[in-house]
Amino acid sequence: MNLLSRASLKRLVVLLIGAVVAAVMTGAPGGYGVPAYTGIHGSLLERVSYFGLFTTQRWTIFLTLAILAWLFVSMYLPRALFIRRRMEAVTSLPTRVMQRRTNRWILIAVVIVITIFLPKFVHQQFWMYLIVEQIGVWILLALGLNVVVGFAGLLDLGFAAFYAIGAYTTAWFTGVLPTPAPFNHPIPTLWCIPIGVGLAMVFGILLGIPTLRLRGDYLAIVTLGFALIIDDFVGTQSGVTGGGEGSLTVPKFVLNMGFWHYHWEINPTPYYYLCFIFVVIFLVAFTALEYSRVGRAWVAIREDEVAAESIGINPLKYKVMAFAVGAASGGFGGVLTAGLIGNINPTLFQYQVSVNVLILVIFGGMGSIWGVAIGAIVVQTATSYLDNYQPWGYQLNDLYMYIGALLIIMMIFRPAGILPSRRRKREFQGYEVAHEGHLDEVLSGDEE
Amino acid sequence: MTEDLLIKVENVTLRFGGVVSLRDVTLDMRRGEILAVIGPNGAGKTSLFNSITGVYEPQEGTITFASAKAPPLSVIGKKTYRIAQLGVSRTFQASRLFSALTVFENVKIGAEDHRGIGVLGALVKGPRTRRGEHISDNIASEQLRFVGLVNEAGTVASQLSYGARRRLEIARALATDPELILLDEPAAGTNPSEKLELTTLIRRVRDERGVSVLLIEHDMKLVMALAERLYVLNFGSVIAEGTPEEIRANPAVIDAYLGTTPEEAGA
Repeated sequence: MNLLSRASLKRLVVLLIGAVVAAVMTGAPGGYGVPAYTGIHGSLLERVSYFGLFTTQRWTIFLTLAILAWLFVSMYLPRALFIRRRMEAVTSLPTRVMQRRTNRWILIAVVIVITIFLPKFVHQQFWMYLIVEQIGVWILLALGLNVVVGFAGLLDLGFAAFYAIGAYTTAWFTGVLPTPAPFNHPIPTLWCIPIGVGLAMVFGILLGIPTLRLRGDYLAIVTLGFALIIDDFVGTQSGVTGGGEGSLTVPKFVLNMGFWHYHWEINPTPYYYLCFIFVVIFLVAFTALEYSRVGRAWVAIREDEVAAESIGINPLKYKVMAFAVGAASGGFGGVLTAGLIGNINPTLFQYQVSVNVLILVIFGGMGSIWGVAIGAIVVQTATSYLDNYQPWGYQLNDLYMYIGALLIIMMIFRPAGILPSRRRKREFQGYEVAHEGHLDEVLSGDEE
Repeated sequence: MTEDLLIKVENVTLRFGGVVSLRDVTLDMRRGEILAVIGPNGAGKTSLFNSITGVYEPQEGTITFASAKAPPLSVIGKKTYRIAQLGVSRTFQASRLFSALTVFENVKIGAEDHRGIGVLGALVKGPRTRRGEHISDNIASEQLRFVGLVNEAGTVASQLSYGARRRLEIARALATDPELILLDEPAAGTNPSEKLELTTLIRRVRDERGVSVLLIEHDMKLVMALAERLYVLNFGSVIAEGTPEEIRANPAVIDAYLGTTPEEAGA
């Protein structure tokens, strides 16, 4: 289906008109200076506005819903219908590939626009904080772990260790730990990004080289042990890490480029954009990695290590690389968290954190970059909502009961995750025209 | 080592605890030869392959590989991936494809240069990376054309028929630009017409690509049609060596295949 086709655009116009009409007709109108809430009494939309995520004007919600409905109807619904198969019979492969590419870019553009304007609609600072701390940073963590677990197929149960290393490195180098900063010269928080990432990566490589010879379960146990050691170290070595209190005074990010100076302060919105930029960078970088020779080598090792070795792939090298990339992203998340929250303590880096990140990866779809990002957004939004609003007599400790049930249901009905990776999905679905246009170019190209 | 020797296995003994898998095996192979190793189940054929490719490390003996590009060197103690990079490629008894990847990607992985780091290259996509991609794309499509799988290039490997899988494995092995290819029962599980295709393909691997072929196979018709020389293994020892005609007439071989014990055969 082509999103820009006449039929599809017609559908969009109809949906938009419907949305405007619905927005006008529902609920009490807002007065001058009074925001108009969605007024469908007792409706889900009202709830949405209740919990403060969108205390905004009706029409924005309705228009967003209309656009999403249009995307869904045009792109996903027909796939299930046999109409699509008939459509494909009459459209040539290159045309279909072009359509799919256009559709992908339209989807990405819509997502980017929504993301850029999101802070305009979120009027509670509290939710902005949650979006940055609980979603933004966790997307980065999940994307990093996805490289290790999803791409290379290595079960890492100690991801929180690298997160902690990033955060405590920041605290150390900015001079807010009991141990003085190196050379007694604290540095700005932003400069801690390369240092924290580098140090986490070094730890990843040091841990990886001796342990990645192990397979499967053994590796999981080693990483778990490492995370427990780091957790214990930051929790008990008060003289070095501040013990249970950690540090309360990590300086905020400051960008000083001489001609342009910016200070991230209390307001969460600038952090939101900072996170957004990094998430985009991570998405682009990891997509490039997935479809590079490195990404293919990872899949080869994940699928069959013996066969991979027989065609000249050094499994240890590629596993260490995956581990280092994962560790680096963990460290990055740590630096970001430290600069964001301003106070760090051992509870942020407990074993539970490793499991939580792993849940995001599994839920979103191991090896699927967009799946993991979406999984992180969905799960983290839901848990933040449950924890902070406690609906239906929900208790704080109930969280893992719900998450456990969710995972069980997922494993039964959608074992490859919400949005499975194309490569992993193939294991379930089988035939698919892959590599799309590229393959045709290659195969026909050098016939010349 | 004489000029045209490609691989020389001398007095190799491989033990697993008390079990002797290869006993004093000596074997040599000339460049450009199609050589077959036959023998009953458990005779140590696959162990020999695994010793040559560095999966197992024999306790005694030497295995020397004489690449055209480098001076002869011992492969014992070298890692499998190193040996593969030196120019020894292989297929497996039960085909081991990357089943979630497409046919094209399977071969492309084989064609790629796996030395160096590659992460930065992947992120920056500089001219070197793009050239590398281009080269391996071309190598991959060349191999697919060679084995006749071009039309299946976009198919997921797990969807292929048995015979096609065998050919794909050969294409993947060829993509690494080997001098020697080890084929472990390439015709296992294929039907008669596929066997015929494979026979032709294997001969073309040698004739058109100049790759020497070392073959393990149970199907005698295929072996006798293909191999120029044979080694017969039984209970880990070489019991005969020669041309197909010589082997067919060899009493020790007949005994081994008809099931007499080595003691009786020796007596």
